[in-house]
Amino acid sequence: MKTERAISSMQTEKRTKPKRKLKGSLHLAGYVFISPWLIGFLLLTLWPIAQSFYLSFTDYSLLEEPVWTGADNYTKIFTNDTTFTKSLSVTFMFVLFSVPLKLFFSLMVALALNKSIRGMNLYRTAIYFPSLIGGSIAVAALWRNMFGIDGYINQVLAWFGVEGIGWISNPDTSLGTLILLNTWQFGSTMVIFLAGLKQVPQELYESASVDGAGKVRKFISITLPMLSPVMFFNLVLGMIGSFQTFTSAFIITKGGPINSTYMYAMFLYEKAFKHYQMGYASALAWILLTIVAILTIINFMASKYWVFYESDGGKTK
Amino acid sequence: MIKGWSKGASLVMLALILVMTACSNGGGGNNKPASVGTDNQGSDSSTATTLSIMWWGPDARHEATKQALDIYSKQNTNVTFKPEFMAWDAFWQKLPTLAASKSITDVLQMDAAYIQEYVSRGQLEDLTDIDLSGIVDPTVISNLQIDGKLYGIPLSQNAQGIAFNKTELEKLSIPLPHKDWTYEEYFQWARDAKAKLPEGKYPIGDTTTWDFYNAYQTAMGKPSIMSDGGKIFTLDKESFMAFYQTYEEFRKAKIVPPAEKAAAFLENDPQADPMASGVVMTRGATTGSVSALEQLMPGNVGVVNMPVGPAGGGWAQSTIFLSVSANSKNKAEAKKFLRWFITDKEAGKALGLTRGIPINPDIYKELEPTLENKDKLGKEIYDLSLDKALPFFPTAAGFAEWVDTYKKEMEAVTFGQQSIEEAYNKLDKMGKELAAKVGSK
Repeated sequence: MKTERAISSMQTEKRTKPKRKLKGSLHLAGYVFISPWLIGFLLLTLWPIAQSFYLSFTDYSLLEEPVWTGADNYTKIFTNDTTFTKSLSVTFMFVLFSVPLKLFFSLMVALALNKSIRGMNLYRTAIYFPSLIGGSIAVAALWRNMFGIDGYINQVLAWFGVEGIGWISNPDTSLGTLILLNTWQFGSTMVIFLAGLKQVPQELYESASVDGAGKVRKFISITLPMLSPVMFFNLVLGMIGSFQTFTSAFIITKGGPINSTYMYAMFLYEKAFKHYQMGYASALAWILLTIVAILTIINFMASKYWVFYESDGGKTK
Repeated sequence: MIKGWSKGASLVMLALILVMTACSNGGGGNNKPASVGTDNQGSDSSTATTLSIMWWGPDARHEATKQALDIYSKQNTNVTFKPEFMAWDAFWQKLPTLAASKSITDVLQMDAAYIQEYVSRGQLEDLTDIDLSGIVDPTVISNLQIDGKLYGIPLSQNAQGIAFNKTELEKLSIPLPHKDWTYEEYFQWARDAKAKLPEGKYPIGDTTTWDFYNAYQTAMGKPSIMSDGGKIFTLDKESFMAFYQTYEEFRKAKIVPPAEKAAAFLENDPQADPMASGVVMTRGATTGSVSALEQLMPGNVGVVNMPVGPAGGGWAQSTIFLSVSANSKNKAEAKKFLRWFITDKEAGKALGLTRGIPINPDIYKELEPTLENKDKLGKEIYDLSLDKALPFFPTAAGFAEWVDTYKKEMEAVTFGQQSIEEAYNKLDKMGKELAAKVGSK
C-alpha cells in the first residue's frame, strides 16, 4: 500500500492532492454506506459483548445494580458447580456425535443428489424442502411427538412386536434423540456439499477413468481431496453451531430427564432468565466462547494436514 | 480535480440519502404508535392518558381482558390502553428486563409467587390508599399486606386441591376421596385403589416438586421450607424421609407410574395429561386451572381438598393481583382503573371467571346463575379447602434456582440414580447457603 502510494505520487506529483481528497471522501462514503450495519454492530453487538465481559465479574440480578465481585463467578463455576460440569459433558457428547454424523449423512445425500438422472431437480427440491420449513420450533415439536412414549416411532415398532421406550423421557436415550434430530436437519450442509461437488473438474474423473480407476478409488482420490475445503467449512460451522444448540433441548426435553440433555446454552439461558443471575451467565458465556475459539484454532491448525487447496499447486500445505 | 472531488462528495451524499431514507422508513413505521401515544398525552386534551398494561394467561383471558379495556375506554373516553399479553413463562422472562430498564408497564398482573421479590426491589407502587371497603373482605386485605402496605389488588380467590377421575373410580367401585382426608388416608387410599385398577393405570402420580412436599411438611405442623422472606430455611429431615420413602414403596409396588412415564406427562395436553390420558386417577388442580382439565374430560372430574395433617392442609387465598409500577407516570389514573376492574358489573361480566372466582362477592353473585360445570368445580375446590387452609407459601426471593434443583434431584431419585438421603443432603446444603446469602443482604 505504502509503496504503491509512493510510486503514484512520484509519477504524477500534480494530481496527488485531489487524489488524496477523493480517497478520503471515498472512505467516508464507504463508512456512511455501511453505517446502518456499522451502528447496529457497534451498539447492538459490540457494546453488549463488552458489557457482558464486565458483568461476568459482577453479581447482577437485573432488578438491582451490578455488584463487583472479581473473579468469584469464574471460581465458583470451575470449583463448585456440578451442573457446569454436567452440562459441559452433555454438550461435548452432543458435538462429538452429531457433527461427524451430520457431515457424513449430508455428504451421502449430496452424492446421491449429484447424479445426473432425469428429474433430479425435483428430487433435490423434495429433499431440501423440509429445511425450508426448518423453523426449528415446529420441527422440535414434531420430534417430541414422534419420539414420545405414545409417539409414531413406538407405534411403528409395535407393528413388529417391539415394545418401545419413552425415547425422550428416558435419560439413556434422550440425548441420542436430539443427536438424531440434529443429523436429520442436514439441509444447508448438504447444499454446500452439493455446490462443492459441482466444482470438482470433470476432466479429473475422466483421466482417472482412463487410468482404470474404479468408483471407490475415484471417490477417495479425487472427490474427497477436492471437497476437503468444503468439508472443513462445514466442520467448523457445524461444530460452532452444535456447541450453541438450544432450541431442540429447550423444546423437546427441557434439558431433562435429570439433566441428560442439559445443553450448555440452555444452562446459560436458565441462569440468566430463570434464576436472574446475569453475572454468572455472562461468565458462562465467556467460557463457552473461549472453548469454541480454542477448538476452532485447533481445527484450523489440523486442517493443514488434511485440507487440500487447488491453488497450492496440488500439495497440501 | 473538481471532477474527483465531486465524485467523492456525491457518493457521500448518495450514501447519506440512502441511510436517511432507510432509517426514516423503518423508524417511521416503528414509531407510529409511540407518537400517537405522546399526542394523546400532550396536546389533544390535558387529561388524555395512555395506560400500558401487561398480563399473562390463556387466550380466553386475553380476549376477556381486551373486552374489559374497551369498556373502560368507552366509559372514560380520555383513557386508551396499550396492552401486552403473553403466556406465564414469557411474562416472567420479560418482566425482569423491563424492571432493569425501569420501563415496567403502568399496570401489570402480579402473582403471589413473585410479589415479595418485586416489592423488596422497590418496583411496585403502594396501593394502600385505594378504597376497597365493601369490595374486598378486610381480612383478605390484611393477609396480603407486606409490611403493612398493599402492593397488589387481589382479583380472585384461588385454592389448591386434588382432581380425580370420578367416572372411572365409580365404575371400579373405588371409594371417592372425601373432604379433609389425612395424608395417611391419602396414601392408604392409593394402596387400596391400586388393587382394583387394571395394569397400566395408577391411582396417584409421583411427585418431584418442592411445593407438593412443602404442603406435607407444613401440614405436619413444621414451618414452611422458606420463611421470613428466605432468611430461614427448614427442610425437615424426618418428614422428608418419611414422605419420599412412601413414594419409593409406591414406585416398587407400581402405585405411581414409572419415572420414564412420569417424565413424559404434560399437564393439560390432550394426549399427555396424566389424568386426561386415563393413566393416573388423580392429580393436583387449582381453582384457576381445573376448568382446563374438565374441558379435556367433560363430566368426569371430581375434586377434593389437599390431604391434611394436624396443622391443616392446602391453601385458599388470592394469588393473582393487579399492581402499579413504581415508575409509572400515570399512577392516579392506574389506581382508578384498578378499583374499577374489580367493581364494575359490566367488566365483571366480560371477564367472567377467566382469573378465577371474582374477589368481589357482588360480581360473583351476578355471574353465579350462568356458571358452567367447569367453573363450578373451581368454586368447589375453594369451598372445600377454605376451613383447613394454611397460608400460600411462595418461593422466596433468590430461591428460583433451588426450586429447579429440587425437581432435578428428586427426578434423579425417581430414576433410581441416587438415594433419598443423598438428595436431602444436597438440597439442605444449598438451601442453607442461599438463606445465609439472603440474610446477609
